[in-house]
Amino acid sequence: MTTVAGSASSPQAVADAAAMRPTAAGLRTEISPLSPRAFRAPVARYRAYAAREADAMQAPVGQLATALRRGDRGAAQAAWGRACDRYLLLGAAYRALGPLDRAIDGMPGGLRRGVADRRFAGLHRLEHGLWTGAPLASLVPWAVKLARDVHTLRRVVRTIPITPLDYATRAHEILEDAQRDLVSGRAAPWSGAGVRATADASAATAAVVGTLVPLLQGRGDALPPVQYGLRRLDAELASVRRDHGGRWPATGALTRAQHERVDGRLGAVLESLAAVPGALETQLPRAIPALPALAAPKRAATR
Amino acid sequence: MSVDRRAFLLRSAATLGAGGLAGATAQQALAGSSPTTAPASSGATAALTARVPFDGAHQAGVASPPQDQMTLVALDAIAGDRSNLVQGLQALSSRARQLAQGTTMPEQEVDEPPADSGTLGTTIAPDGLTVTIAFGASLFDDRYGLARRQPARLTTMPAFPNDDLDPARSHGDLLLQIAAQRRDTVIHTLRELMRPVRDQFALRWTLDGFQSADRGPTPHSSRRNLFGFRDGTANPDVSDAALLDQLVWVQPGAEEPGWTAGGTYQVVRAIRMHVEFWDRVGLREQESMIGRSRDAGAPLGGSDELQAPDYEADPKGARIPLDAHIRLARPRSASTESQRILRRGWNYHRGFDAAGQLDQGLAFVAFNQDPRRQFATVQERLADEPMADYVTPVGGGYFFVPRGSRGAADWVGSGLFAA
Ligand code: HEM
Repeated sequence: MTTVAGSASSPQAVADAAAMRPTAAGLRTEISPLSPRAFRAPVARYRAYAAREADAMQAPVGQLATALRRGDRGAAQAAWGRACDRYLLLGAAYRALGPLDRAIDGMPGGLRRGVADRRFAGLHRLEHGLWTGAPLASLVPWAVKLARDVHTLRRVVRTIPITPLDYATRAHEILEDAQRDLVSGRAAPWSGAGVRATADASAATAAVVGTLVPLLQGRGDALPPVQYGLRRLDAELASVRRDHGGRWPATGALTRAQHERVDGRLGAVLESLAAVPGALETQLPRAIPALPALAAPKRAATR
Repeated sequence: MSVDRRAFLLRSAATLGAGGLAGATAQQALAGSSPTTAPASSGATAALTARVPFDGAHQAGVASPPQDQMTLVALDAIAGDRSNLVQGLQALSSRARQLAQGTTMPEQEVDEPPADSGTLGTTIAPDGLTVTIAFGASLFDDRYGLARRQPARLTTMPAFPNDDLDPARSHGDLLLQIAAQRRDTVIHTLRELMRPVRDQFALRWTLDGFQSADRGPTPHSSRRNLFGFRDGTANPDVSDAALLDQLVWVQPGAEEPGWTAGGTYQVVRAIRMHVEFWDRVGLREQESMIGRSRDAGAPLGGSDELQAPDYEADPKGARIPLDAHIRLARPRSASTESQRILRRGWNYHRGFDAAGQLDQGLAFVAFNQDPRRQFATVQERLADEPMADYVTPVGGGYFFVPRGSRGAADWVGSGLFAA
């Protein structure tokens, strides 16, 4: 057996220990699993929150359509920003909403004809048109479709099943999403709304974490660094906003120093958030059934 | 080193003898074949003199073992006309053959620019160099009158769900895959190859890749990718010629134009891996996404990298989740085995992005006989795999690798232009 230098354990045993997995010797000891029932109240609170945000999205989407019909690009862009805020505040990271998410928030990357693809719809279709000078009248049908999808959204967020595992991972996936797509400028490339969107994602994370505080308290030490990290991130974003005259700067308008600090605060809080799902487990990692050992002839045959 | 790579080296050593792959590599391969020998650190210490012939029935760099260093170079054809294009292709083959063979820089007048950049000194060792030349679909447009000879299955790579393809890092008229044991060899080759073809080809994009070092524990352990997992474990056995005829090499006849026989389709995907995010994921979740253990590379529940995952005994995914990468990529059912591809991946690192995140990933290279039947089918099955959140394909393309050149008088692609 190969052993890790300085120990009598196999690399797998060391990896198991590092990951605190059940090993032959027994189960991890420091935290026992939560009952799934413990998630009922937090998820219910989140659901009420998400329903409020989804409801609040309807108004700016309507204002967006009105502004488009009126031919007022500035007003349309402003309404777009408010609609986008609501969607992000809802915290629907990582396809939690399935195809509806793609309809509302999808990017053109995976589409055959890119931005010209008929399936490219929703907030970013409108963003593209609003910031690249498309005739406003041509965008009206997309705003109408978005209004319909938001209507569906209001229904869906009230009923969509959320498992404890979904909910525990959402606490960190909202900001993972922000780091991958928002501060990099990958999402919202035309409006440059990445910084403002990151602030929304931070608020959404705070809302989710807020509902989990009763569960996290007394379960290891995951909570304090998360709360500290969220405060640091928010303070950084607020200072960036102040530096730009009280308005959210476009991602491209951040100075290097501002970008570095926002990225760093975000990365740091993400490192802390990574401990949340583990602290909120409702079951111990299951043991993996053994695969019968490799039959000897296989290796000989491949030689 | 994977089984297949070892098998290849053994075969190469046996068939090429001292005149082919040079002594050191062959000997290490032989040493590695004995399970009782200590791990051979083959790649890193391979002799500079290791040589892979440029000419042959198939181009080098497909079924040959992946070298430690690699650069993909996509070129756009800017040749004025067809004969000028032919000149460019001839020059590429002739220079590549010379460099793969190894050469000594000729004595020269001091008042002239030297014939070689000199970055490898005056003795240019082959270092296992392979240069694989391939054509993109765009070469077959109306510029050079090649439309009617386009390989039947060559298309522009489509965007798959979750792709975020950057046009500046995708497609191209020509693709060079330059691979050798050492980075300086690769870079020297690129620099020298471009000199005679400035009037014919323009750089479109490049991507540098590297293999992780051979860190054992056994001589047949696969190297790791940047998610920390062993990559290349389950690949078709490249020493099985009949298998490669089914999966990799285009066969004479069928609906393919005659000149394509002996060639293969090359799929390139530059896949960004969101490594910071990945590093924040529990080990068990990582392993469930892949379907293998991170340390040993064994199928979950197993202990040996080479064990078969035995899905039949695990119909509900209790051991290996039904949506694990390896299970979706290859369900190992009778009907999906013809979809297998030959993967040759290299890791890449290219700085960091606007959000301060490392820009690392996989220069995914796959060879197959029919990208629709094989690569695209597999890729579509992988569309919503859990790992998809952690990777973003950002570039690449579909290319056709013609058969190998027949010798010093021939050149790669000659069949396309033959009357
Ligand atoms: C960054 C992206 C990817 C990563 C990190 C990755 C990683 C892995 C790993 C760790 C394995 C198991 C070891 C092995 O057999 O090589 C594997 C196997 C495999 N992957 Fe991927 N892969 C990626 C992309 C792809 C893509 C794009 C395809 C094809 C569309 C693909 C097809 C396969 C296949 C066919 C296998 C072998 C499955 C088997 O035969 O059991 N992979 N991959």
